[in-house]
Amino acid sequence: MTELLKKEIETYNVHKTELLGKAKGKFVLIKDSEVVGVFDTKMDAIRQGYERFGNVPFLVKLVVEVEVPLEFTSNLLAV
Amino acid sequence: MPSLTVQLASLHQQGPVLEVRVAVGQDTENAMAKRNDKPKDPVVAVAMIDTGATGTVINHDVAQRLGLQPVGVCDINTPSSAGVPCHEYLVRLVMPRHNVVVETVAIGAPLHGQHIQCLIGRDVLQHAVFIYTGYNNTFTLSF
Repeated sequence: MTELLKKEIETYNVHKTELLGKAKGKFVLIKDSEVVGVFDTKMDAIRQGYERFGNVPFLVKLVVEVEVPLEFTSNLLAV
Repeated sequence: MPSLTVQLASLHQQGPVLEVRVAVGQDTENAMAKRNDKPKDPVVAVAMIDTGATGTVINHDVAQRLGLQPVGVCDINTPSSAGVPCHEYLVRLVMPRHNVVVETVAIGAPLHGQHIQCLIGRDVLQHAVFIYTGYNNTFTLSF
């Protein structure tokens, strides 16, 4: 379901250890195989992504050691 | 303080639902304007306020109709699945009759049936007061 950002997710995984060392708890902006920058807030990273790349897929991700899924109690979600 | 109160025939049966317009985010619109692209018109959607949702969700169809591109990914847990990866999109939720505009990062996921196209989750509610008045079938949302 996240095919459009497959390359960016791979890039994050390649750089994860390094990012955890210097930017844990911050938001990283990744386009293709480039780590563009690290930001204090998600919205700052998204704004930078749009300014730099326009309306195309890019990845903004919280740098964390362990991913925690978001919880939904509703059965309206068809997944 | 922008505020809206909705009265329904049966709040118990319908749940706290309201009509919203889902639009591209402000930064998306700015980026498109720089390239002389015009954003698609907002999509009218029925939204349910869902205190059991960590984040806001829009149906895949809404994201496609707005021409949105993903800005992130997240994993979600539901009653019937665990760790499902989903795209995230920057959107604005507009409640025009009530002068309320909320910008947030929504999760794109399929929603059952045609009735509800959006779940307004706790990412939005964290900035709001939500009052559910069951005995007279009304709810109020204030920002």
